[in-house]
Amino acid sequence: MNQALIEARQAVVKWKPQLLLSAMQRYALAILSVSLALGISLLMKSFHVREVGIPLFLFAIAISAWYGGGAAMLALLLSCISFDYFFTEPLHTLYITGSDLPYFISFTSFASLVTWFSTVRRRAEAELRQARDELEIEVAERTQQASLLNLTHDTIFVRNMSDVITYWNRGAQELYGWIAEEAIGKRSHDLLRTGFPEPLEDISAELLRTGRWEGEIKHTKADGNVVVVSSRWSLRRDEQGRPTGIMEISNDITERKHREQEISALNEELAERTAELESSNKELESSNKELEAFAYSISHDLRAPLRHIAGFTELLKKNTASVLNEKSQRYVMMILDSAKRMGDLIDDLLAFSRIGRAETRQTMVGLEQLVQEVLTELRQDTGGRDIVWKIGALPVVYGDRSMLRLAFVNLIANATKFTRTRAQAEIEIGCRNQSPNQIVLFVRDNGVGFDMKYANKLFGVFQRLHSAEAFEGTGIGLATVQRIVHRHGGSVWAEGLVDQGATFFFSLSTFQRKESRV
Amino acid sequence: MSTLGRILMVEDDPKDVELTMTALEEYNLANEVVVTRDGEEALDYLYCRGNFSTRSNDNPAVMLLDLKLQKVHGLEVLAQIKSDEKLRMIPVVVLTSSREEIDMVASYKLGVNAYVVKPVDFHEFVNAIKELGIFWAVINEPPPGSVKKN
Repeated sequence: MNQALIEARQAVVKWKPQLLLSAMQRYALAILSVSLALGISLLMKSFHVREVGIPLFLFAIAISAWYGGGAAMLALLLSCISFDYFFTEPLHTLYITGSDLPYFISFTSFASLVTWFSTVRRRAEAELRQARDELEIEVAERTQQASLLNLTHDTIFVRNMSDVITYWNRGAQELYGWIAEEAIGKRSHDLLRTGFPEPLEDISAELLRTGRWEGEIKHTKADGNVVVVSSRWSLRRDEQGRPTGIMEISNDITERKHREQEISALNEELAERTAELESSNKELESSNKELEAFAYSISHDLRAPLRHIAGFTELLKKNTASVLNEKSQRYVMMILDSAKRMGDLIDDLLAFSRIGRAETRQTMVGLEQLVQEVLTELRQDTGGRDIVWKIGALPVVYGDRSMLRLAFVNLIANATKFTRTRAQAEIEIGCRNQSPNQIVLFVRDNGVGFDMKYANKLFGVFQRLHSAEAFEGTGIGLATVQRIVHRHGGSVWAEGLVDQGATFFFSLSTFQRKESRV
Repeated sequence: MSTLGRILMVEDDPKDVELTMTALEEYNLANEVVVTRDGEEALDYLYCRGNFSTRSNDNPAVMLLDLKLQKVHGLEVLAQIKSDEKLRMIPVVVLTSSREEIDMVASYKLGVNAYVVKPVDFHEFVNAIKELGIFWAVINEPPPGSVKKN
């Protein structure tokens, strides 16, 4: 800034005309011009032209006076002496006769007047020049400042106390879309349709009291779009302390505001979702409790009458064995069968619901040993059958041992059940790695299989693809398997062909996971 | 069969009472059975009050306790017995339809001596009652102060 000012001053100095002479030169000029005037006058006098003396001396004085007061005085003095000595009677003396005195005085007075005029004019000119120089400097400074203000990306404009814009920088032009010529002279609040965060009177009061104001305001651009700016106002005062204008420096924070709004909207949404989640969690909890009460009630109240039906039918059968005909005895048997089946259904249903309700107890479970246990248990029922078992290498997984055991019991029991019609049953249990943290286990048999179009029904509660006469069962086993696998975060599916065997797959994650409820 | 201890049965369902009695009769265990129909009556019997104010105050050799009872729940009866100095020695067998783990855990926490789920199958049911009756009323030596019949 200082450097720029100095350069501006130097430019002004260079521009000055080189008419200013040194004092010595000015006095030399005075002597020279008077001498020249004297010489010419003497020359003219020798040709008897007498009346050119006075104008020539006046001219010499005027020339000297042009360049300075002191030189003019010298020229005046020299001219008076020369005029007195060479052209006033008696000649070649400095004596002035009474008759020539008015003439001499009028010459001196006129010469003095010329000198005075010239000096006054000179002084005025010097003052004028100085004023112009100062003006130039100020213009240069202002220009410099203005161009500096234009360099900033901030929006800066100045308005006077009547709200009329007096300065408008390039930042303002870029943000609002009006160039300086369009904006200057307009009322800023009208042009920009300013929206204030608080009453304008309060803002003005604060501005007048403290000289400053800061806040976020809304402006409307030339294209009609609204921008939000962070604005800092400062009050300018004149030398008497009267407020003269207000400088507004603003930054466009529309984007930031948008993002803030987006964030707060997202936060609100998050809070809403959390609330929803909490409420559905509560619903889930309460429906879980209801389910538990329901299961408890089934367990007590449904089994009792069933036990009575079975009990009294047994007693009836015993007491009437000798009197009932064969048909009636068959009816009694059918009642007992149905009661037993219903008992099984209730037991399985309760076990199934317990899987959904019970907490899982997660431990490391060696599946190889687990499967061997299951096989030992099931072999008691498959004694005498020709079954080829192929047991692959099985991993250790993280899960609830008793649940996983139940899953294998169901799948392997199914495999033995549905291969009952085979002369030689083949059952394969194996594992393959699906991904680094997921394994897929499978149980494959060469049994009666199923039609793939019913594959989606396999895992539903009470869904059966075979008649109870052909293959006994309640239709809950695979639903139980699915629920267990889901609670372990895995999935279950099956592949099969009618009379070509079936393969049941389920996936398990190999790393520890949080319990999920199904 | 040397001596027969008195069995206190607490059962609100008359059909269950009949089936149980049938099973006990089959093995000649039924003649020392007292039946109370709800938790309150059972406590009346044990404290010799109400209808039972005139009975001798000996304790039964075993108590077969259903859980889902009217008025006073089986678990409350159990809690009352096990917190009473005079009654706590009575062997209590919970005999219930429910296989609910929550009931089982609660019963054992209160100090139950056995927990039996009534089988739906009649033969299994009769067998279970027989085993219970023989064990608790015949084989087991009841605590002092229990009613026994020679």
